Amino acid sequence: MEVAILVLSFIILLGLGLPIAWSIGLSSLFTMLVSIPAIPAFTTVAQRMATGLDSFSLLAIPFFVLAGQIMNRGGIARRLINFAKSLVGALPGGLAHVNIIAAMLFGAIAGSAVAAASAIGSSLGKPMEEEGYNKEFSAAVNITSSTMGLVIPPSNILIVYSLASGGVSIAALFLAGYIPGILTGLLLMLVAGIWAKRKGFPTGERTRLSEVLRTFVDALPSLFLLFVVIGGIVAGIFTATEASAAAVLYCLVLTYLYKEVSLKDIPDIFLESIGTTAIVLILIATSMSMSWIMAYENIPQNITDLLLSISDNRIIVLVLINFILLFVGIFMDITPAVLIFTPIFLPVVQELGMDPAHFGIVMVLNLCIGLCTPPVGSVLFVGVGVAGTKIEKVVRPLLPLFIAMLFALILVTFVPGLSLWLPRLFGY
Amino acid sequence: MMIEKINYWVGRVLIVLMFVMTLDVLWGVFTRYVVGSQAGWTEELARFLLIWIGILGTAYASGKKMHLSIDLLPPKLGPGGQQNLRRFSNVMVLFFALTVMVIGGCRLLYISARLGQSSAALSIPMQYVYIVIPFSGLLIVLYKLLDLFSPSSQPIE
Repeated sequence: MEVAILVLSFIILLGLGLPIAWSIGLSSLFTMLVSIPAIPAFTTVAQRMATGLDSFSLLAIPFFVLAGQIMNRGGIARRLINFAKSLVGALPGGLAHVNIIAAMLFGAIAGSAVAAASAIGSSLGKPMEEEGYNKEFSAAVNITSSTMGLVIPPSNILIVYSLASGGVSIAALFLAGYIPGILTGLLLMLVAGIWAKRKGFPTGERTRLSEVLRTFVDALPSLFLLFVVIGGIVAGIFTATEASAAAVLYCLVLTYLYKEVSLKDIPDIFLESIGTTAIVLILIATSMSMSWIMAYENIPQNITDLLLSISDNRIIVLVLINFILLFVGIFMDITPAVLIFTPIFLPVVQELGMDPAHFGIVMVLNLCIGLCTPPVGSVLFVGVGVAGTKIEKVVRPLLPLFIAMLFALILVTFVPGLSLWLPRLFGY
Repeated sequence: MMIEKINYWVGRVLIVLMFVMTLDVLWGVFTRYVVGSQAGWTEELARFLLIWIGILGTAYASGKKMHLSIDLLPPKLGPGGQQNLRRFSNVMVLFFALTVMVIGGCRLLYISARLGQSSAALSIPMQYVYIVIPFSGLLIVLYKLLDLFSPSSQPIE
């Protein structure tokens, strides 16, 4: 009964065009009103929202968003693109590979897929069109590769997962993300390369080694940030939150030295990232009230029992969970999906002996696919927006790239070593 | 435009909060490595600032209509239908802001004041932290009312 109210009211509100965060909050409220009197229900939701945000690790989100925004405006993104161009520009479909590598590097520094899609897409879109790539193909490559920033650390969504899972180490999750993220990126490059060859998209000129070196040196200060952030977290010098604040400072200093941003642009950059952050934070706040009501109604326990009653075979349960998450990802943004479904599925997979860090990577990689599908794919919207094309037209070139992502998902799900080898190496 | 004017100032406040939050966390790292012992209040202050930025930022994003939503139905309806749908959406958000954020938020203030809860490191009474909830709730109510009754809200794109 309560479950039906929760699910139906959520779907109806969402379908009627209500913002996702409010749909989550309202459907939780309606469900609570069934069994709890009105005033305490209002108070509980308000309190869940406040305590949901009361977490030091969540602070990393506004900081990484801000760092990304500064990089985007301050010429750091462009230097990363130039470096990527000198590396892979000579492959068939050169600029497509440049896009993928640059998105992975950018994501590795900023940790936000939307920022990567807009930064890389807006700077590579035009040159790709001039070289004869069609817009739709460029947009599709940009959209799918931008999501890899969520798997490759630092990643805001892995921080959210750490919170939802009740404290899986952020450092372990970050390390676990590298190989799956890079693997997916390589698979995307493979598909893009084949597609480009068949369509006769141009191949860039081979760059001389001196040029590679020059762009590398140019990008070095930006790449160095990666070592500071990840190295600092893994070595235990600072927490993810402190690393993210350090990243903001570093990016500010760097863009100041590059002289591409003037001091009076700074408040605007702050405000822009506050808008982006607030949208994520309110999603977290209302999702917290939804997970509270679900726990109150014993929903996670019931789903665990149900799943384990279908089968206690690890492979079958994992396939089932992956299907459910793919479906969820189509209709739900990645942040609420992680917050709401981690408490539901994590106990199931732990029962089957899966490592929580491994499951985190599987879940995020899975939901990344949803970010590129209509109707709620935020990265899809941004990617299509900066490319100046239409969603309907991008679907066709997206399909083979989806297959690459699905293939990566299957590999990462069933080969735990891909995720766990690196964290184990560092002793997590 | 009333909404833009108010939101401009909300935005200024948010910039200051974000700036203070950045400095605060950096100060925490600095004190730990340079001074040797981390000031205990930096982490707490940062968490409270995050609540403020999250909740007040929501009101800001609401004023700017930035929140993510699905536009499946609107394009298929006529202009009249779209208008009604938008009204419905505004009314629902208004309902949530009024009940949960204003009423629930005020009650949360009242309860923490009664219990005399204050924070561990800074001993800030918790109601000063939570006050951002009813305040932002009121802002959202105001924005939605202005949107519902403004004459300029007829054509969308």
